[in-house]
Amino acid sequence: MASSRILPEFELLLPQNIKEAVSALGKLKSKASVMAGGTDVVISCTKGFGSPNVISLAEIPGLDYVVYDSKKGLRIGAMATLQQVADNADVKKRYPALQRACAINGTPQTRNMGTVVGNIMRASPSGDCICAVLAIGGKIVLQGPKGKREVNIDDFYLKYRETACKADELAIEIKLPAISAKNAFARMTRTTLDLSKVNVACSLVMSGKTVKEARVAVGAVAPTTIRLKKVEAILKGSQITDEVLQKVVATVPTEIKPIDDVRSTAEYRRDVAGVMVKRIILEALGK
Amino acid sequence: MAESVIGKRIPKVDSREKVTGQAVYAGDMRMPGMYYGKVVRCWEHAHAKVKKLDFSAALKVPGVVKIIGPDDVTKKPYNTTVMKLLVPEIFGEVFGEIADLNIFNRVVKHQGDAICGVIARTEEAAERAAAKIKVTYEPLPVYMTVEASKAEGKKKNGYLFTPLKPGNLAFDLPESFFPGKRYGWNDKDGKTAEQLFSKCDYIIEDTFYVPKQKQCQMENHSYVAHYDERNRLNIWTSTQMPKPVQVLIAELFELPLTRVRLTQTTVGGGFGVRLGMIGEPHACAMAMAVPGHPVRMEFLREEDWVASETRYPGHIWLKMGFKKDGTPVAVDAMYSARKGGYYTHGSGPPFCAAAFLHGMYKWQALGMQTEGYFTNEVPTGAYRGYGNPQITFAAEQMITKMCNELGLDEIEWRKKWHKSIGDETWLKGVTFASDGLNDCLDVAAKEFGWYEKKKKYAKQTGVKRRGIGLAVMQHTSGAFPMLLEHSVCTAKLNEDCTVELIQQISDLGTGGHTVITQMAAETLGFPMEDIHLKSGDSDMCGFDIGAHASRTIYCAGPATIEACESVKKQLLERAAQLLEANVADLEMKDKIISVKGNPQKSISAVKIAKEGVYNYIDAATGKTIGIPGQIQGYSSFFAKHCSPPYGACMSEVEVDIETGEVKVLNLVNGHDIGKAIHPPSVEGQLEGGAQQGLGFVLTEEYAYDSKGRVLNNDFTDYKMLGPSDMPKAKIILVETAPDPIGPMGVKSCGESALMGPIGSVANAVYDAIGIQIKEAPITPEKVLKAIKEQGLRK
Repeated sequence: MASSRILPEFELLLPQNIKEAVSALGKLKSKASVMAGGTDVVISCTKGFGSPNVISLAEIPGLDYVVYDSKKGLRIGAMATLQQVADNADVKKRYPALQRACAINGTPQTRNMGTVVGNIMRASPSGDCICAVLAIGGKIVLQGPKGKREVNIDDFYLKYRETACKADELAIEIKLPAISAKNAFARMTRTTLDLSKVNVACSLVMSGKTVKEARVAVGAVAPTTIRLKKVEAILKGSQITDEVLQKVVATVPTEIKPIDDVRSTAEYRRDVAGVMVKRIILEALGK
Repeated sequence: MAESVIGKRIPKVDSREKVTGQAVYAGDMRMPGMYYGKVVRCWEHAHAKVKKLDFSAALKVPGVVKIIGPDDVTKKPYNTTVMKLLVPEIFGEVFGEIADLNIFNRVVKHQGDAICGVIARTEEAAERAAAKIKVTYEPLPVYMTVEASKAEGKKKNGYLFTPLKPGNLAFDLPESFFPGKRYGWNDKDGKTAEQLFSKCDYIIEDTFYVPKQKQCQMENHSYVAHYDERNRLNIWTSTQMPKPVQVLIAELFELPLTRVRLTQTTVGGGFGVRLGMIGEPHACAMAMAVPGHPVRMEFLREEDWVASETRYPGHIWLKMGFKKDGTPVAVDAMYSARKGGYYTHGSGPPFCAAAFLHGMYKWQALGMQTEGYFTNEVPTGAYRGYGNPQITFAAEQMITKMCNELGLDEIEWRKKWHKSIGDETWLKGVTFASDGLNDCLDVAAKEFGWYEKKKKYAKQTGVKRRGIGLAVMQHTSGAFPMLLEHSVCTAKLNEDCTVELIQQISDLGTGGHTVITQMAAETLGFPMEDIHLKSGDSDMCGFDIGAHASRTIYCAGPATIEACESVKKQLLERAAQLLEANVADLEMKDKIISVKGNPQKSISAVKIAKEGVYNYIDAATGKTIGIPGQIQGYSSFFAKHCSPPYGACMSEVEVDIETGEVKVLNLVNGHDIGKAIHPPSVEGQLEGGAQQGLGFVLTEEYAYDSKGRVLNNDFTDYKMLGPSDMPKAKIILVETAPDPIGPMGVKSCGESALMGPIGSVANAVYDAIGIQIKEAPITPEKVLKAIKEQGLRK
């Protein structure tokens, strides 16, 4: 049994640049975990799930950026904290789903340390940023020994806690497209400071009253956060009427595979996920 | 005369040291030559036999001093509680008190049971060594429910948790004391509750579930123990019951009290979790293994979760019968509880659940049975309320339902039918001396806007439904005459006429030290700053039971008052001698003692105090100057009663009928305090208790996997309400019914705070959706399922 007070021994690597980090990762591969803010990695260590090596990004300069460009969209560096993203004016204006996911994540203390890229990379099925980004759409920029590549968020999560990021690759950035879509995020928790028992997000491109494009994501109801393709199909080309929303509510449970755990039950998650999706659609549209 | 400090909103005597971080907890202590002690616990199993214990690899870890196992410590079994000191031996035997704990174990009865102890130079070394101890277990079947434990206990050669308890029945009410194994009374014709149901017009019957809740005190259990060069065993601990724990330690290690010194450190929250011993035996055993070296031992939060006691969970069945006008006739009840792996507080909470049912309403007959079965869970013990939260959750929901179905005003019904002055309290033969419940109900209803809201929320549509709920309660101030309530105080008059109070007062953050100081200042007519309370050192303090049963101010306060009265009396007697006056004609004001109506004839108390100590010989006369002898007041006080306080709490909730989520919006708690000596402390008790009560009713419970391992041994997955989850809460201190027995009119408040919020929130949910949720905590999962299955009833 590990101790929640005494960290087990591990090698702490402090690369000074991305190249050094990638090289260290290339050598250690799955024997190392990458640490940005440390809010998950350190907890994992105290729970006995730590790696023998921790590669900290703390001393690599220039990774804490949040930059918006009206053509290229939003870029978030690997060391940008949840609080930094939550406070960013462009994020507030254009990506309210992500803003919300960051602003209510964890506690004030962990928001000041934890990072958005870290939340994405941890690949928890209940990750709030994952849910928001999956709804908005985006790309994860990975740096490997042979160079950079970008993976679409839609293809990123393979199975429970497993991503398309290879053992020798380092996530250095996420990119969100410049969008005009209306987006929103909400989650359900037991108390305010908690992990999500269900989270939902949507992003809707509207043409007048009609939905032109829809992306709907829901978390903590399957091994990974998932998009609800059937729901998106219902929404696409429709106007948001009570009838359509009823159809959405009825369809959501058919697309999810929740489980019983200490936070909730499968039955409850099935019962409320539809309601939450309905409500998030209305919230995104300002209704 | 110094201005009275009674009822004043003055700063607490210990607030500055706490907010500036100066207060010293056991975990802060560093001493020369100090080692670190780590208890190695069984995490893999909830029930197993230790087949092999191998220290060899662990002993090679640098920094390890010694590792001790079951064979290296006393084999004497013990009980964590101090019950044996609170009742006569024969009474304890009748109640079935047993000692079934060992310091280190060869049989694991719950996850977290202690196996052995590592003593090392640092905590890091102790942790590393602990990880290398090889324990080979033979897993045994786990019994996690009353039914499973009972069934196994009934089998011929079935598994018994202890041979001392046949059938795995840890506790039920003994027939010899309780005919029919029931606590209660029969009607005037001798008819039992069961026999009276046939005379009732309206009968309700239901079963409720109450959760296994953790105290979640801020300070994990932490200790320093030191077997010193004088062969004295010293222990620093934040136990709530320092003197009795000193006695238990002395008995366990077979030492006279002169060789056991217990120092109570700053207490980082108690709530019952420190009601007796938790890690003291382990800390002391490790210290005794390395004489001369202090050993610090701190529980990790996850250890606290599995190796210290919790609230007693279980099912409560109630059957109530009434006349159609609401006259309460009969109540029959059964509390079937899960004990956990060891006996500990086996008899306490179940009996008290019955007792607090006993104390509330004027039934013609009442009978309640209780039983506690051993299970492979963390043992249950004391948690603020001690059975009362459990029974209140069930009984107050029943009362409200009855009022609804018979069309009665539930406030008026409770006013009419609650027990009052002259009626029996929770304890047979002890009657209420004061009653402020009607006033609590009135002020709460007014502040809350009960009748306005009742009307406003009568017909609602939409997704969010509001509901309001009420619950009342009575509790106790100390546990006399069932349990010993003894407190000793010595008030030493210093030569500058300030006072050192030497008295063991367990202040768990409750304000006890402040209030005792206020009471001393008021009794003497001295300013607060002229009183200092010396507490916490068993070498110095006289006997005191400790903080339990909401007793401190009510039971220990009179000792303070008596000791200070004695000091005052001695001052006046000396003044009378020096002034050649009668004591009865004297008064003391601003430390000047004068003859009433003749202020010129006076003497300074400061002079008397000084001359008592520095009683020089006047060289000129050859006589002493003043009257010799340092003045000390002393009291060895035994409580005379248990003056129960009442309370009435109203809550407003909003239920989301599509998600089942319950939000508490507003809470008003009127409390029958009698007299609030330090109102901010009383309010703090009632506010803090509301947080724990709301946790009981809405979010908190242990979760176990199928093997009996705790799934939520941290704050990630055991959810207490945080600051942003708390409703607006208004605490009203009702002082219209000062108690004729309680010192300065006081009644207790420490434990009272939970019951009202628990019962009223449950009833508010019932009011919002028309369905009673009978299992606590009332989670969204349960609410939504109930709406789905039963349909909204409102």
